[in-house]
Amino acid sequence: MNIREVDILLVEDSQDDADLAVHALRHEKLASSIFNARDGEVALDFLFCRGEFAQRSFDHPPKLILLDLKLPKVDGMQVLKEVKNDPRTKAIPVVIMTSSKEERDLASGYDLGVNSYIQKPVDFDQFRETVKRVGLYWLVTNQAPVNGLLHAAKQAP
Amino acid sequence: MREPSFLMKTLEATSELHLRTNRRLQESPLRKKSEIVEPQPIHAPIEAPLRRRVTGGFIVAVLMTAFVGFSSWRYARLAAEDADWVVHTYAVMDALELTTKHVIEVETSARTFAATGQDSLLAHYEAAKATIAQDENALRRLTADNPIQQRRLDLLERQVDATLKFAASLVAKRQRLQAIPSDSEILETERLMDSTRDTSQGMQAEEMHLLSLRTNKTNAGRRLTSLIIVVGIFVGAGLLALARLAVNREIDVSTGARAQIIALNADLEQRVEIRTAALQSEIEERKLAEERLAGQAKELARSQREIRILNDGLELRVVERTAQLAETNKELEAFTYSVSHDLRAPLRHISGFSKILSEEFGAALNPDAQRYLQRIQDGTHRMGLLVDELLNLAKVGRHALYRQVTGLGAVVAEVVSMLTSESEGRQVEWKIADLPFVECDPVLIKQVFQNLLANALKFTCPRDRAIIEVSHREENGQHVIIIRDNGVGFSMKYADKLFGVFQRLHRPEDFEGTGIGLATVYRIIQKHGGRVWAEAELDKGATFYFTVGDLEQTEVKYKTTAAGAQL
Repeated sequence: MNIREVDILLVEDSQDDADLAVHALRHEKLASSIFNARDGEVALDFLFCRGEFAQRSFDHPPKLILLDLKLPKVDGMQVLKEVKNDPRTKAIPVVIMTSSKEERDLASGYDLGVNSYIQKPVDFDQFRETVKRVGLYWLVTNQAPVNGLLHAAKQAP
Repeated sequence: MREPSFLMKTLEATSELHLRTNRRLQESPLRKKSEIVEPQPIHAPIEAPLRRRVTGGFIVAVLMTAFVGFSSWRYARLAAEDADWVVHTYAVMDALELTTKHVIEVETSARTFAATGQDSLLAHYEAAKATIAQDENALRRLTADNPIQQRRLDLLERQVDATLKFAASLVAKRQRLQAIPSDSEILETERLMDSTRDTSQGMQAEEMHLLSLRTNKTNAGRRLTSLIIVVGIFVGAGLLALARLAVNREIDVSTGARAQIIALNADLEQRVEIRTAALQSEIEERKLAEERLAGQAKELARSQREIRILNDGLELRVVERTAQLAETNKELEAFTYSVSHDLRAPLRHISGFSKILSEEFGAALNPDAQRYLQRIQDGTHRMGLLVDELLNLAKVGRHALYRQVTGLGAVVAEVVSMLTSESEGRQVEWKIADLPFVECDPVLIKQVFQNLLANALKFTCPRDRAIIEVSHREENGQHVIIIRDNGVGFSMKYADKLFGVFQRLHRPEDFEGTGIGLATVYRIIQKHGGRVWAEAELDKGATFYFTVGDLEQTEVKYKTTAAGAQL
């Protein structure tokens, strides 16, 4: 897999959940390039092109981030905060997909600028349906900025 | 609330008492002042004219007295002079008589000697003759101040000389001639004697005249003086009487004034006493009030201290309890969160992988394996429901009520449309009456309708034609919402178990359910302060009732909301 050009960044610590998500996405032919970050730190390194992802470029951001909240090392909210606070990454759509339907998490998620918040349904059919809709919407229906970068970010030195 | 208001009242009462006392103290001097009668003008001190008059009178009296004194002195002087004159006059008269007597003795002895020749007579004659010069000298001395008398004295002396000479001649004639005096000689002697006697008598008369003149003069002066004295005495007495009158009047006036002053003083003193007593009583009253106030303040302070201590204790307890509750809440939240997250995740995995298994490898499995796989999926589905509903119930407990006027019709319509999609292929008649606007938490009330209508739908499943009615009535000022179905119903024997958690009146094989739905309904209605109950008969349907919202209150709010909406 070419990590330089990734369509979907799946931030999910559970192998089971990651597999099910990938299975659902593949089922809908949306899993051309998915990168699964198993914790928040890896996700941030990936997004900010550092560490083992230093060869990556901000010119090719992922088209969608599917973010779980309960993560080792750096939790989902922190990842969301850093992504939305940086002009180089703030344009990337972030969809929280979590087991939690906590109002607290919902509120702080939207407060930090999340684009969508979805509770993973227990029923796999429903889960698959949800994943399909999200993928189609953000990867196909939605019009992203050119190269996923904001004009202001490009101008920045 | 009772404690602060009681304290406030006490404070108000005491401050009012204080105010009242102050006001009275401030008022009283004014009131008393108006009562004080301006003292009558006491007689002005002896007026200046009167003083002048009295002084004048006094001077006059002094002058009068001096004058009277002087007059008396003069009177005495006059009297003394008078007496002197009398003495003098009598001295002159005595001297004249003595002279006259001696002359007569000389003449008589001479004549008798001449007639008788008796020698003893001669001696007598000589003795008398010798004294005459002395007598004359005395007379000269006594009448020295009176020229007329001096002249008369000269005459007398000449007559006496003539008489003495004639007598001497008689004596000589006898001695020498032994001649007896002739008749002519005796006559001569008698003539001489008579003239001498006449002169002497004239002098005596003159002296007496002078005496009477002087007496008259001094009498006149005495009378004048007496008059002056009498008049002076009377005038003085009059003046004294006047003075006495004036003084008496003054005394009367001043006595009156003094009496007035004494009366005024007494009055004043009485007033002062009354005022003092009043002030003292006021001071006492005030002191009492202050003491009371101090006592109350002390009591207040004590109760405040007690309240503070109690409050502190209470606050401490509240803090402790709050901390405990917060801890419990946190634990509960953590628990629900982990239930939500940790239980749902493995369930999802089971559901997902079993689904994938049956979809991708189902053809390779024998029918039994496929059936078991299906059972796994059913189990996970039920467990998913159970977890979700448990979370719901837990959430209701934690959820704070956000009451707002809610149109129940719209809520029911939304729930019904959601349920209709789940009941496809079934014949269901929804009879929804006009529902009121009530004040409630719309999210929770929606949950109530969702649970009750889902139940109605579920338990009417065996019916060919399900009839579900939603209506309302007003009872005791409250809205009663009624949900009736023609489902399988239940026995009223178990009605008390209906709203308990995990309480189910049907077997799971007959009706799917978790036993949490009605417990959630109960919690929500209870949270709204309402009541929920059910009536049912086995196989004849069930009716659920719940009350929500205060009728009057909601009515008003609805009207204002409706009016707002129309604008």
